[in-house]
Amino acid sequence: MARIGVFVCWCGSNIAETVDVSKVAEVSKSIPGVVYSVDYKYMCSDPGQELVKNAIKEHNLTGVVVASCSPRMHEKTFRKAASDAGLNPYMLEMANIREQCSWVHNDMDEGTQKSIDLVRMMVEKVKRNKPLEDISIPVTKKAMVIGGGVTGIQAALDIAAGGIPVVLVEKESSIGGKMSALDETFPTLDCSQCILTPKMVEVAQHPLVEIISYAEIEKLEGFIGNFKATIRKKARYVDVDACTGCGTCWQKCPVKVDSEFEQGLGKRKAIFIPFPQAIPSRPRIDAENCLKLTKDRCGICEKVCPTKAIHYDDKDEFIEVEVGAIVVATGYKIMPVSAFPEYGGGQYLDVVTSLQFERMVCASGPTLGDLKRPSDGKLPETVVFVKCVGSRDPEHHHSYCSKICCMYVAKQTMLYRHKVHHGNCYVFYIDVRSNGKNYEEFVRRAQEKEGAQYIRGRVSAIYKDGDDMVVEGADTLTNSQIKVKCDLVVLATAMEAPDGIKELAQKLGIGYDQHGFLTEAHPKLRPVETATAGIFLAGCALSPRDIPDSVSEGSGAAAKVMGLLSKDTLEKEGVVAIVNELTCVGCQNCIRVCPYNAIELKDICNRQGEVQRQVANVNPGLCTGCGTCTPSCPSRSIELLGFRDTELYAEINALAEL
Amino acid sequence: MQELINKAKELIENKEVDLLIGYQSDGEKGAKPLFVKNPLQAEQLIFNQYCLNNLVTYLMRPDVKACKKVAVVAKGCDIRALVMLLSENQMSREDVYIIGMTCDHVVSPDGTGENEKCATCKVHNPHLADIVLGSPVQEKYPKDKPVKHTQIEKLNAMSQEERWAFWQEEFSRCIRCYACRQACPLCYCERCIVDYNTPQWIDTRSNPRGNFAWNIVRALHLAGRCIDCGECERVCPANIPLMLLNQSLQEEAQEKFEWEAGYDPESEPPLTTFRKEDDEEFIR
Amino acid sequence: MSENWEPKIITFVCNWCTYAGADLAGTSRFKYAPNIRIIKTPCSGRIDPMFIVSAFEKGADAVLISGCHPGDCHYNEGNYNARRKFTMMKKLLETIGVDTQRVIFAWCSASEGIKFSRLVNDVTESIKKIGPYTEYHKLNQKER
Repeated sequence: MARIGVFVCWCGSNIAETVDVSKVAEVSKSIPGVVYSVDYKYMCSDPGQELVKNAIKEHNLTGVVVASCSPRMHEKTFRKAASDAGLNPYMLEMANIREQCSWVHNDMDEGTQKSIDLVRMMVEKVKRNKPLEDISIPVTKKAMVIGGGVTGIQAALDIAAGGIPVVLVEKESSIGGKMSALDETFPTLDCSQCILTPKMVEVAQHPLVEIISYAEIEKLEGFIGNFKATIRKKARYVDVDACTGCGTCWQKCPVKVDSEFEQGLGKRKAIFIPFPQAIPSRPRIDAENCLKLTKDRCGICEKVCPTKAIHYDDKDEFIEVEVGAIVVATGYKIMPVSAFPEYGGGQYLDVVTSLQFERMVCASGPTLGDLKRPSDGKLPETVVFVKCVGSRDPEHHHSYCSKICCMYVAKQTMLYRHKVHHGNCYVFYIDVRSNGKNYEEFVRRAQEKEGAQYIRGRVSAIYKDGDDMVVEGADTLTNSQIKVKCDLVVLATAMEAPDGIKELAQKLGIGYDQHGFLTEAHPKLRPVETATAGIFLAGCALSPRDIPDSVSEGSGAAAKVMGLLSKDTLEKEGVVAIVNELTCVGCQNCIRVCPYNAIELKDICNRQGEVQRQVANVNPGLCTGCGTCTPSCPSRSIELLGFRDTELYAEINALAEL
Repeated sequence: MQELINKAKELIENKEVDLLIGYQSDGEKGAKPLFVKNPLQAEQLIFNQYCLNNLVTYLMRPDVKACKKVAVVAKGCDIRALVMLLSENQMSREDVYIIGMTCDHVVSPDGTGENEKCATCKVHNPHLADIVLGSPVQEKYPKDKPVKHTQIEKLNAMSQEERWAFWQEEFSRCIRCYACRQACPLCYCERCIVDYNTPQWIDTRSNPRGNFAWNIVRALHLAGRCIDCGECERVCPANIPLMLLNQSLQEEAQEKFEWEAGYDPESEPPLTTFRKEDDEEFIR
Repeated sequence: MSENWEPKIITFVCNWCTYAGADLAGTSRFKYAPNIRIIKTPCSGRIDPMFIVSAFEKGADAVLISGCHPGDCHYNEGNYNARRKFTMMKKLLETIGVDTQRVIFAWCSASEGIKFSRLVNDVTESIKKIGPYTEYHKLNQKER
């Protein structure tokens, strides 16, 4: 038998001015099921809450309706009061007679009638409410970071600083990411390796961080607080424990191939480490170019290795890791010049990408910082930089802005001019986007003090004329066509999502957009979370951004992980969906519409273990209580607790005049 | 015909299937379902333009489901229903042996002339089958042309008040026998929404309010799923033009979501997916 | 229609956008007509098109449904799903001859207090002009 208590608040004069609260309380007494109905000046005050608690106890109330302000203000307050008095908190509802009634209407009669209706609706709902229990989920206090660039490294360090063990999974044979390939970084012109390597060393030596390099995620199972990841450690052919990093093997190796780290401008061996400061500083064998592995010849590295660390019979290894939270910091790649044949990319050696230019000027690069153009080794006396190549170009390539190019092109003009004092450099631009701290000043310095000459206009053609490269374009500020003869052309090509990102996102169960950038839970309010509870994002995996933002997000994601893993169990609201297995026919509508992949098919078996049929099954840990599943079910076999059909129908029915 | 009988006998004798559902004669100008469990019964199998029934409906009956493997004689339009059942996880492809029959047309329910649904058929030659019997038929309706039903043009031309009056008249004859639900291959819910009483969303009485609610909700639950077999209208004892409702939603799904049900078992019905660019002209 | 007749507009909203927008209209004191009765759901995805039929059966003269703008759904996708359902229901109601002027869909975000109040006023005004939905309400009185 329902025993409902109704409490109507004056809220001083906020409600009482336009609603006759005493009348509302009086009329509510006659609603079937209401056994107690009062009005009070300030329900949210301590005495107000005491009023509710006492009434629950004295009148054995089975449900409560508080008619006052918006539930977004005080639902938690009143539900806690109910809970303290021994009533399940979900048996309390609020009727919004302030924000949605007294504050927006003028007429006392209309406001009062509306309040009476609203109270009646909520009484009818609460009569059908079911007591709900919050759900407790256990938590594995370990985290995984996917991606060992500066963002992933930062996240790993911050999580480990909080006492949580971290597994850092990196696709390449060394951590460091793109930042290890840069010369100097904007806006400080810090040497990139110099600021990165201390962090790399710190994370490698941290007792709570385990780096698994040259590895990728094979499979992910489980849910928030309880993930199980299967990691594929790709065959390295080198025993990293036995290896001392002495380097004899790669010195003796006879094979030379283009180095990926040097962006194709330098060479490496078939057994190699990508760069001298690599961590782990253990080589790997490139199975496609190693003579032993392809043709069963050579084998010199095994012979010369002092610790017998080379194993040609190495295979991919699978390891399983249990973690409670995951940070995805998979970074980016940039478009190669070959994507731009209209700019001579792939045709002329002297048309290079910005990353290639970094390696050319870098003191640890293929030419040891001696600026030589790729075709003939000549010192480039004139360099043209072209911005927005592949970015902001919806007709041919990408619609988005790659964010960092304006800044790094300004930087690269300065790096060039620092090396070649008499050199000329031109920058073709559409806009200059320099909106970070000290960014505007940095670009102005390049333009006004360091001699970079900015030309506003797009480039129409790039070709070779004899020994020179020629760049043709528009100069919109002087309204003319312009032709620049130069020695080297640097294209600021667009940042893109890395290869294989869609497959990874699908394995993790997280979203991505049409460009392959991973989707955050809310672009403004939840920028480092995904829609999948327990998986977080940071850095360029989300979209192009610079090092300061990426590092901040690494820390931000780490903070989220720390918050999640700081408890032994997770509590979440009991407002989740449940399935009636007797009536469910397994049509999968709910499974398909659920935004959180919280529903799966479950086998219903007979006693012999034979599958009779399949039904839907909700994982309460993943369900966020949106209710999209409920109307998708024609047979109403899945319902959202707290907003069940019978409860909402009762609200509609309360308004029936018939 | 003989090919069909031979194939049926073969399937039954080799125990490839436990049951075969096909058609038998019903008088000179009629056909009705036949449930074949032994080779002798197979002799009665026929296939002609009177074979209106959508036999796929029977695949969802509990006694048929209890059989390990079933063969079904199906026209292209019937197979569309089967494709939907596959995509909605109601059966595995291995559990059913589809005997696809090429079909030029079937008769209209009153036996006079060609059935209206055949004018817009795109699968005179079955698109999914284990075996296809019968000589190939020329497909007349272009595959990528959206299906436009001439029947609903008249309804669309009416004003809103006229349509309301039209349906009041039609639903006044509805006796809530639920034959439409029974005949529909996609109405396979164990517990139908009309049987759900906490709350009773749909008034079960055959009064105007209940009849409107029932027919609206049934059409809604078939939105994006109805494969236009027309069985509901054929079996309605009150001759209510039920297909008008379903066809209007089929055309909406085609126009707004470029969707036609029952062709691709891998695809997901339109109300379980979305595109960011879906139409929202009607939303303020 | 009696002289004192006031439209009854049953309103289904999502908690995170439109309900919050309605609250904002309240805190900003943007006045609007008192004819709506709001039923809160967690997401527009929870709103079943069948609610529209029930609302008319229970005496509503109009039904207003509002949720988050596409892309802003608190649950990411609920409103995209809802959008498709509403598209189909609108077509079905048109075909059946229901007066679809009386079924209004809107996207109203948590910051659009003024949009909410204007929407309610516009809808109330237009329903006042066309009168009570007696055609639907009459269905209840007729027995077979």
